[in-house]
Amino acid sequence: MNHPATHPVMDPRLAPTFPKAALPVLRNTQLRKNVEHATDVIQTKRNRLVAEKADWQELRTAASALRAHVLENLATYLEQFEERCTAAGGTVHWASDAAEARAIILDILRQEQASEVIKIKTMTSAEIQLNPFLEANGVSAFETDLAEIILQLGGEEPSHIVVPALHVNRSQVREIFARRMGLKNLSDDPKELTNAARTYLRQKFLAIPTAISGANFLIAETGSVAVVESEGNGRMCLTLPRTMITLAGIEKVLPRFQDLEVMLQLLARSATGERMNPYTSLWTGVTAGDGPQSFHVVLLDNERSSILAKAKQRQTLKCIRCAACMNACPVYRQTGGHAYGSVYPGPIGAILTPQLMQMKFAQSLPYASSLCGACYEVCPVKINIPDVLLELRAQVVNQERGRAARYFDPMYVGLRVANLLFAKAWLFHVAQRLGRIGLGLYTRKDGWIHSLPGIGAKWTQTRDLRGLPDESFHEWWAKRGSQPGKEGK
Amino acid sequence: MKAPLQSRQQIPRQRILERIRAATLDCAQDPAMREEAYAALPRAYTRHGQLSAEARLKLMIERLREYDAEVVETTPEALPDAIAAQLAASDKHSFLAPPGTPSEWMVTAAWKISGLEWTIDHGLATAEIEQSEGVVTAASCGIADSGTIVLHHSASEGRRVLSLLPDWHLIILRASQVVETLPEYFARFQQPSGLVTWISGPSATADIEMTRIKGVHGPRFLNVILVRDKS
Repeated sequence: MNHPATHPVMDPRLAPTFPKAALPVLRNTQLRKNVEHATDVIQTKRNRLVAEKADWQELRTAASALRAHVLENLATYLEQFEERCTAAGGTVHWASDAAEARAIILDILRQEQASEVIKIKTMTSAEIQLNPFLEANGVSAFETDLAEIILQLGGEEPSHIVVPALHVNRSQVREIFARRMGLKNLSDDPKELTNAARTYLRQKFLAIPTAISGANFLIAETGSVAVVESEGNGRMCLTLPRTMITLAGIEKVLPRFQDLEVMLQLLARSATGERMNPYTSLWTGVTAGDGPQSFHVVLLDNERSSILAKAKQRQTLKCIRCAACMNACPVYRQTGGHAYGSVYPGPIGAILTPQLMQMKFAQSLPYASSLCGACYEVCPVKINIPDVLLELRAQVVNQERGRAARYFDPMYVGLRVANLLFAKAWLFHVAQRLGRIGLGLYTRKDGWIHSLPGIGAKWTQTRDLRGLPDESFHEWWAKRGSQPGKEGK
Repeated sequence: MKAPLQSRQQIPRQRILERIRAATLDCAQDPAMREEAYAALPRAYTRHGQLSAEARLKLMIERLREYDAEVVETTPEALPDAIAAQLAASDKHSFLAPPGTPSEWMVTAAWKISGLEWTIDHGLATAEIEQSEGVVTAASCGIADSGTIVLHHSASEGRRVLSLLPDWHLIILRASQVVETLPEYFARFQQPSGLVTWISGPSATADIEMTRIKGVHGPRFLNVILVRDKS
């Protein structure tokens, strides 16, 4: 019971394409209900708090410009962070990719002779698939965020970056806790379930001397790290252990301490619909007599520098992981996170994941969007996600150019034919007539086509198609021209 | 053992920084230009609050109560009594205090409540802190707009673990420490302390069906005494 299950990990390299992965989810009404409920609650709270904030747009503008400035000067700010953090007693490590980051962390754990480690929720550690790696190397990683415990004990995958277990409801949590904590008489009251987690973890906090965290912000000016949380599990992990390891993406840096005045106002309101999250902790290297006396920061590149190099895509790295885009996305709200096959789901995941994969995997994700723009509208740092989605779609299409298989793709063939038809008016008219005759066979009395054979079924499986009218606009106009008396006002 | 790890680190470090520099060549800036660009960043958001001192305190109290924190007001003269009253009402007996706590607070409370146990943190072991039921600390700042209390972990605010393990946390906040907006906090503390904890209500979670549950790992009870000093 005390041994964490190997956490299954979302791997974009192995995941099926989005439309395939979405199908089973769309049939799972319980899961859809859970996702809809959770995203509704957060959205409502967020919208209320944003409405009361008269300077919301000014804060967004400031945050957007600030994050863009950081990215443009990233090397300088990272070096500054490294220098100050080191001066304050921390050790800064650099990892080019996931494997390097994992090796560095394991090295530190080996030096500490740690066989167990407590963790604050960090999506970056899920990105590098840290838990299964540690497990395979004889280190048990205990998640301490309530949602993460639910997932870890239940053998589930995260489906959201702020509330990763939002797809699990209270009776499912009860079942998981009862089974894994050996509490047969547990009720499904969230309060009782939370208490069970509190008791379960208290001993771990007091006993395990090594912790791993992510970072919400790194402050270049002071070499400090900030972690934003709700439960206090973060404070426990940041305070009680002897050794602290923080894993942070290189983009997480802010120039100055004061810049938090922008980010903290935006983050909690966007993420959980609170004016401020219960706890934000900031620490600087090592402080004598308070907290861990050994502190390591692992700065992770893992393709971020490649994203940085592309002008239009660079804005992806402005993200502060608030998940507002997920909660607002009509696609995410239907499918939940698992269909994205990545620890980063939703609109930001749809642009971030394929880029982290160097566009070699997850190419279906840029299409998992209706381009409605809701994500852009709620984004606190104004990432133009639809714009990046289009850019990535163009790249996917470019990848497909020159592949022989493309000539057998019905979409490709269809568009080539359309290209020919649209080029010559007479051809177009002939096609219209033929289409009218052909489709007429399938058009019902109500004027709608409910099902088509062959390739056309792809359309009519999920929606009806209006039948072609008896007369085209062109034909009507020509007729009308010969009847001048009928001209309107 | 550390040395090989350090030297091995030099290679990825240089590689990553080179990659970043190459990726941002289009916007390369010298230090002066960078400073200028930073200074020119748009900051049109509200920096200074508009409320009167009284309305500011009212908002602070309102916001704290929305987080389920208990708030009482008192004068500087009546503070020791107010602390004693809070301790008595808490139904707890063993309390911790940071080394910088005014002895008057503790003497009054001990005199008024029988069986009260005070322990000053002169490097207490974690287990001893864990055994205590409550803790009383000062604070550095209150931010009315979000009902946030900021600890800088000075001698009167205590080290971080002190206000974390006990289930009941009483904070003494002076009216002169309350600002209206978050930017006003940052304006007041331009040289930050190395350790900062921003507290907005008791520990909470909404991880199970978005139902807000008070008290997960941090203190489940947050009480605040607002001292009406002359600001």
